[in-house]
Formats: sequence, C-alpha cells, structure tokens
Amino acid sequence: MKLNTGERWDLIDRISKETVTFGAYQHTLKDAIGELTVKPMTGIPVAIAVMYGFWSVFGSFAGFFTDGFFVRLFDVYWLPWLQEVFPGQGDWLYAIMVDAGGFESGEFVLSSNCLESFGVLTSGLFVAIGVVLPAIIIFYLMLALLEDIGYMPRLAVLLDTVLHRVGLHGYAIVPTILSLGCNVPGVTATRILETKKQRFIMMTLLAIFIPCGAQIGIMQDVVPGLMGWILLYLIIGYFIFGYILNKIVPGKAPEFLIDVPPYRRPMLSNIGKKVWGRIAGFFKVAIPFVLLGCAIVGVLYQLGVIRFLGDALAPVFVGWFGVPKETAGPLIAAFLRKDLAVAQLSAITMTPYQMITAVVLVSIYFPCVATFAMMLKEGWKELLGALAVLTVVVFTYGGLIHLIGILLGVA
Amino acid sequence: MKILLMGHPNVGKSVFFNRLTGANVTESNYPGTTVDYTKGWMKIEGEDVEIVDVPGTFSLDPKDRAEEVAVSMLHESRDAKVIAVIDASKIERGLYLAMEIIEEGYPLVIALNMRDVAEDKNITIDADRLERILGIPVVSTVAIAGEGIKELVSRLKEAKPVNVDDIIANAANASDTESAADAGGAA
Amino acid sequence: MKKKLSEMDYGEQGTVTEIEKDLQKRVAGMGIRVGKTLRMVTKQPIKGPFDVVVDEAETSLGLDMAGKITVEMTK
Repeated sequence: MKLNTGERWDLIDRISKETVTFGAYQHTLKDAIGELTVKPMTGIPVAIAVMYGFWSVFGSFAGFFTDGFFVRLFDVYWLPWLQEVFPGQGDWLYAIMVDAGGFESGEFVLSSNCLESFGVLTSGLFVAIGVVLPAIIIFYLMLALLEDIGYMPRLAVLLDTVLHRVGLHGYAIVPTILSLGCNVPGVTATRILETKKQRFIMMTLLAIFIPCGAQIGIMQDVVPGLMGWILLYLIIGYFIFGYILNKIVPGKAPEFLIDVPPYRRPMLSNIGKKVWGRIAGFFKVAIPFVLLGCAIVGVLYQLGVIRFLGDALAPVFVGWFGVPKETAGPLIAAFLRKDLAVAQLSAITMTPYQMITAVVLVSIYFPCVATFAMMLKEGWKELLGALAVLTVVVFTYGGLIHLIGILLGVA
Repeated sequence: MKILLMGHPNVGKSVFFNRLTGANVTESNYPGTTVDYTKGWMKIEGEDVEIVDVPGTFSLDPKDRAEEVAVSMLHESRDAKVIAVIDASKIERGLYLAMEIIEEGYPLVIALNMRDVAEDKNITIDADRLERILGIPVVSTVAIAGEGIKELVSRLKEAKPVNVDDIIANAANASDTESAADAGGAA
Repeated sequence: MKKKLSEMDYGEQGTVTEIEKDLQKRVAGMGIRVGKTLRMVTKQPIKGPFDVVVDEAETSLGLDMAGKITVEMTK
C-alpha cells in the first residue's frame, strides 16, 4: 500500500511522538558561523575572501614548485642530457621525442628550454609533471577542504541570484568548480541539475569557458601577468553566452532547492584519499593524452600538415582574431592539447593583447578529447548542440575580443 | 544477494560502504560528488553479497538526474534488500524516505547513523520501540567510528517487507499502551 | 498573522500552515511540511533564494517556491 505525502507525514508524526524526544537545542559556534557565511552582508565578503585565498595559494604553490624546482630540473639537467644522449639529432624521431629545434641561417640549433623543444620526452613530460602536477595537487587539496567543511552549498546559495539569470541555479557552481580541476568530472556533476535544458547549458558553458587545471597551470606559468585579463574574458563569456543560451534553448529552468548541511571538521583520511583518487584519475587521463597529443602534434609538424593548415587559415586568424600568423600552428595543435598550445604560444613574439586573445581562443576552443568522450556519454544530441554553440562562440567572441582591442587601441 | 545502501546525501553512506566492503570511496559534505553508484562485495555467513552505494536522494520523487539514478537503481533491483542510512539528528525526514521504500515493498534495515551528533543535539531515540512499531531492524550506528556495523550486518537477515497497515496499527497501539501506562502511573 | 514565506523577514519564525499541492512532494524530502516550525535565516538580494531552518535542518529554496508556502507567524 502506498500513502500520499500528507498521510505519510501523519504516520511519521505519530511514530516520532512515540520514539523521539527532542531536548532543548543549544546553538553552537558552528551554527553561528554557518549563518554568518550564508547571510549576504557577511557571506559575500567571506566568499570573495575565500575565492581570493584559493587563488593566491594556488598561484604561489604551483609557482613555487614549477619555477623553483621543475623548471631547473628539466631545463638545466634533463633537456641537455637528453639532447646529448638521444641518437639521431636532426632526424624526425629526434624531433618528435626530444627536440624539434630551429634553424638559424641554415644551421640546426637545439632549444634552450622545455617549452620550446616540443619533444614528447621534454615538453610533454615537463608540462605533465612539472607544470600540471603541482597545479592539480594544490587545487584538489583546497577543493577537498572546502567540500568536506561544507562550504560549497553556502557558496551555491550566495551565487544563486546571478546563476539563475543564465538559466542555471546556485548549484551550478559545483560542476563549474570541479571543471576547474578537470572538465571530465565536471560534466558528470551536471547531473545534479534538474532539467535537460539546464544540463545542456551547463555542459556547453563548461566545455567552452572553463579552463581545466592543466591549462590554468600552464597559463600561470607562461603568462602570469595576463591571467587576470584572460580569466575576466572567460567569466564574462560564461555569463553572456549563458544568458543567450537561456533565452534560446527550449525547456524549463527550475529554481534552487538544496539542503545546506552543517559545517563539520574535515577528516584528514577522507581528504587524503579523495585528493589521491582525483589526482590518480586525472593522471590516468591526462598523462597519456599529453604525451600522445605531443607526439601527434610533432608528427603533424614533421609532415608539414600544420604548416599547410596554418598558411590556409592564417587570413582568418590575422584578419578576424587579430593574432599573428605564427599562432596558426599552436591554435591548430590546440585541438589536441590546449596546455601544449599555450606553451607554444608563449614562445611567439606578440603584443600582450594578442597573447590574451590567443590564449582565450585556445581556452574556448574545442574541448579536450577526454571531455569530448564524456559529453558523448551524456548524449550525442547534446554533444552536437554544444559543438554548434562552440563554433559560433569561437567566432563571435574571438571577433568581439579583437573589436574591443581595436576600440581600446591596443590591437 | 544484493544490498542497496540508500539515504540522503552526506549521511555517511560511503563510510558504511567502505566499512562493509573494504573499499576506498570518499564522500563530501554536499550532494553531487557521488552521482554514480559504486559496487562492492562482502561475505556474510559464507555467502557473497553485492553491496551498492546508491547516490544520495531525499525522496523517491527524483528532482534531478542524480536522484533519478538512485530511484531507478532501486526499481531495477526488485529482489534487493535495502539499508536505509538515516541521519539520527534529522530523523523525521529520514523516516520519510524509509517509509517510501517500505511502501514499495522492499525488505529494509534502518541504520540510525550519527547517533553521536543526535546526542549532542539532545535528541534521544528509542530505537527498540521504533523497531517494534516499524517491524524491521533498527540499529544505532556511528559509522565513522565503526560502531554498530557488526550488529547491522548480523541483523540483515531479519529484514522483511512490511505492510504499511501494520505500521499504522502498531503506531496506534504504541500510543494506547503509553497512555495506559501514563494513566496507570497517575493513578 | 499569516504570511507567505516569501514575505517573511530575517529571524522571523512561524508554523507552516499550507504548502501548495505541486510543491508538497518536492520539499517533503527536506522535512518541510505543514505543522512544522519554520525559522527564516536569511534571503539573498535581487530575488535570490530563501534560507529556512526546519527541525534544525537548513534548506535554501527559490523565491517562487517560497511564495507557495504559508506560515502562521509566532515571532
């Protein structure tokens, strides 16, 4: 027999009266903090402080390990050693695995650092271990802390007002923040949204505007001074296109309804296990993709494919996006590895504004292969829709950024 | 045999799962990280039993895709037993979900988890009495500390489908006996 | 005095007297139901969500939903 909602509650009331006694409840400090962090007057400043703190710890930790340790290890010891011992300097295998080098007045010259060599064993390993690993470790550590304390639902409450305007609601912050680590679990987390419309908007925005930990790590390393601008453009894009999608995608965008659990002391063992599990998961996906992506890009360079495409597409890049012709190669390589593409971009001489445009383009580009596969799992129609939106966004938003640059007189 | 671990988000289902299966599933203090289920195995009295850590859900009327996963798992496992993990400090809304599962005819065991939190909040639950009214095993647990897990496992075999009418009758009887006892005490 | 939850102010408290039919099931899992004491913790500006506590469990719900819950004020 089934009861309706009212009958069920009546029964529970009767049972509860017989079996449960509620003593006087003492409000604790935890409750007080809980309320202060959700009330807008106090909660919004706290949220800004938490986000700022998150960002500064992320930047300094990742910078400390990458610049202070891995750059030296890879550029001073690993690269020269490998350039020395790997056989066949100048031939194609050497170029793909170690160093594609460059030609100066007809002479083959070796690269001086791991961001310019583009070998699987040099750039590939350096990006995966030297840049991405520290970034991912600190990101997941801080995220696990915020999660286990119970801060995320409160952040969701505070952000509901703005996220509701783009067809989502506060809880969309969960997939968004997860995606900053890796888009793959971010796509899975879209399931906490209620309707198809919301999940589609969320997935599309994630794939386009949320750079993953690998990308953020490398951006932080090679263009630290421009990070603010790049992120600003991505956030603005997230809201502009979210707003438009909300208007054109059919379906419902239901309101926010969530449980806000009490704060609790995080358990170290849980945090440790979680961080470890996520890093392991990330690396199972990322390392093969970084190395393989690096190899494929190397092969395509060797075969002249990228040069050919670059020449063919150069007018679009130069005319429409306002970036130098040389960026065509990296922008095409970005189909395979965004992090490597950012590294390649950093080696090209261009104005800061062009660099901002180029890096934003790489970010909003085609999602990485793993994310692509994950989206396919959620439904091929959604994936095709997302790709259509993506194409439109890359051209309109890329053009818009160029236009803004022209108006500001910097492009 | 198959056992589903069900309950609200962050009531410690994953902790139960780890304790039972020796797995390493982690949990977060908000819904959304376990949007997929996890399976594991344990031995109970020599029999291999499959344990499923079902995503958290507040009711059997799913409000999002993650809850849909939970509800359809329940419906696809008609022959399964269910362990309903309830936050003892929020017992009423926990019972709401437990009642929904009972009404669908599943054999159920209730784990009144976070007993320590409930005690801190001055909430006392008469688990024996609750057990008599519902007609199914009710075990107080503190999963993080491993308390009550053994008892829970040993009582799984007592789980059986219950008729809601019986529960209604039991609840009425319970209040009669109590008022009778009160009357006796007063006299 | 009766009020919609959406009209309640910070710190106000009351007993839930009515929940519109289409919302009853949705909020049931959160423990929100007729007869319960409900305390309003806070609301977010610009049509943001409402934070309420029922049975020491905190729930945040959108403005439209808050408009479908009627509360008899006690404080």
